[in-house]
Amino acid sequence: MAERAPALQAQDKLAFLLSLVPYLMDRGSVSIAEAAAHFKVPVAQIKRAVELIAVSGIPGETTQYQHGDLFDIAWDDFEQNGVIVLTNMVAIDDSPRFSAREAAAMIAGLQYLSSLPENADRAAIATLMSKLSRGASSAPSQVAVENAPTNDLLALVERAVEAGVQLEFDYAGVRGQVERRRVDPLRVESLDADWYLRGYDHLREAVRTFRLDRIAAPAVSDQPISFTASDVVLPEKLFEGSPDDVVVTVEIDTAASSFLADYAPDDIEGAGTSRTRLHLRVNQFGSLARLISGLPGRPVVIAPASARDAVSDWVSRASHRYGEDELFSVDGGLD
Amino acid sequence: MPASRAPRVPVEERLFSLVLALLATETGLTKTEILSTVQGYRQRWTQGDNAALERQFERDKDDIRELGVPLETIEEPGDTGNNQNLRYRIPRGAYELPDDIAFSSEETALLTLAAMVWREGTLSGESRRALLKLRSLGGTAPVPELDYAPRIRSRDAAFEPLQTALDRRLVVRFDYLKPGDDAPRARRVVPYALVQFQGRWLCSAIDPETDGWRTFLLSRIVSPVAVTAETATVPPDATAERALADLEALWEAQIAVVRADPASDAETRLLKRRGTVRRLDGALTVHWSDRHLLADELASFGPEVEAVSPPEIRALVVARLAALVADHRGTADSEASRG
Repeated sequence: MAERAPALQAQDKLAFLLSLVPYLMDRGSVSIAEAAAHFKVPVAQIKRAVELIAVSGIPGETTQYQHGDLFDIAWDDFEQNGVIVLTNMVAIDDSPRFSAREAAAMIAGLQYLSSLPENADRAAIATLMSKLSRGASSAPSQVAVENAPTNDLLALVERAVEAGVQLEFDYAGVRGQVERRRVDPLRVESLDADWYLRGYDHLREAVRTFRLDRIAAPAVSDQPISFTASDVVLPEKLFEGSPDDVVVTVEIDTAASSFLADYAPDDIEGAGTSRTRLHLRVNQFGSLARLISGLPGRPVVIAPASARDAVSDWVSRASHRYGEDELFSVDGGLD
Repeated sequence: MPASRAPRVPVEERLFSLVLALLATETGLTKTEILSTVQGYRQRWTQGDNAALERQFERDKDDIRELGVPLETIEEPGDTGNNQNLRYRIPRGAYELPDDIAFSSEETALLTLAAMVWREGTLSGESRRALLKLRSLGGTAPVPELDYAPRIRSRDAAFEPLQTALDRRLVVRFDYLKPGDDAPRARRVVPYALVQFQGRWLCSAIDPETDGWRTFLLSRIVSPVAVTAETATVPPDATAERALADLEALWEAQIAVVRADPASDAETRLLKRRGTVRRLDGALTVHWSDRHLLADELASFGPEVEAVSPPEIRALVVARLAALVADHRGTADSEASRG
């Protein structure tokens, strides 16, 4: 297996060469800098690729890679002016097709984005998907993502951004209190089925992350924004740790421990054969109680006692909504 | 000449040269012609034993095909079964993107975002290469005013082997733990689709013994997925589209009634759940695909909701809460580790 690892990198490099040649042919003459910007790669990568292309070709009649069997470039332009001009072309005429998996990745990606207002024109998206299928060298892999209806809230966010005004909405924080928030929208992010708005919050006077499904009564305001996406460097992680975070020890079935991966457990220890103990950093116990009570794999908060009590209080109050003798066994669900 | 003394040709140069040579030939090249003349092989080719070089060629063919390059093999007429006379080539029509496929700048923008979706997933390599090919066409996309950073994760370790198996129609084996069962059960199935529904990855598969159609949640697969060498056929209608349609139908058909406190987090979020309707009496009807997943979700809302019906959903929520209460009573001790 070890010898396969470098080959993966070479595959990427090959895909790059096969993609770069038709682009250069099409452009006729293009600066190294522009090609690098177009492919979003470093200038050095373009240079190396062009140098390789310029000495590559086919064995030809003589099987000796004679001059006419090779690509050639205008070397003076390349070396002195940083401009790429292919002066001899070999074998390649056009861009390569997508692989079955590449087409599947793009199609599933489009399906995943079906809630975006840009994707509201379902006929146009269907055309685009069929182009990807036809542009693949074999039938795309059977990977798909559920179609979602257009998200009206995202349309509102886009309108606010276009108009340069704040978005306002009711937001129920995890502590349960609802407040009217006014926000400069900066970025919309998602993780699987969960969508988030990141923006500058005028109430908190800081950048905050909001779950779209917790936003209620949204409206485009008439207040101008203070910040745009280019003014603010957003932290990479959706939720940043804060100094008053508390470290909580949770025990859970080992098979289910990956559900806690987002909470960046800093160290993991076994607890018996099938259980694992994790240390999570949490900001407050309200969200911890929600998290713990919704996870599979029988999670139990071990310490500190205050965190245990918070979960205990949450689930005790919940169970009081039900009668004493309601327990009975059931079966079913997905296979 | 030992391989170590041969001039070193970078891997990508060898692969690139192979693609160029096979694209340029109409009639195909034999393996000997390739190994003795193509850049990167010819430096290591000898008149004697070329076993190592031949194995290299086999791996290179796989790597190239994985990129979607249709490298084909032609048998000499009347000479079937003779490996030495097989000819290799890349037919231009099957290699090149058809002329009538072009992408507008809006389409390019959408596809760029679609590729971004996978940047942390199993398909990150595929989407990165798809983007290269898209950019090869020279089109540019307008810079969107609102910054989007969408992400799908396929964190489940089962994703990759299941996709390999479904692309090659292979039988897989894994242990599957249904909630409420004491122990996992060994399963042997032919996967035909991987779908994400309500944020969770599922694998649709056919049980070759019973011909039964099954859907598995990847998060409930508790062993590594073993991909066997056994191939199997699946019916033509075993597609991802059908798998999703089946899940949609299930979601549509299954309803639970819950009471949520007014203006609570639970009410806001359940109202945004697909298909939720508020009844005249204020209770919410919510849709679901799996009773255990729904019970987990309702339990997470704690005292903000009450599961009213159907009885089995209510009972599952009660059971969950009862276990949580018992597990968090008093101080933690070794009791909590009983698993």
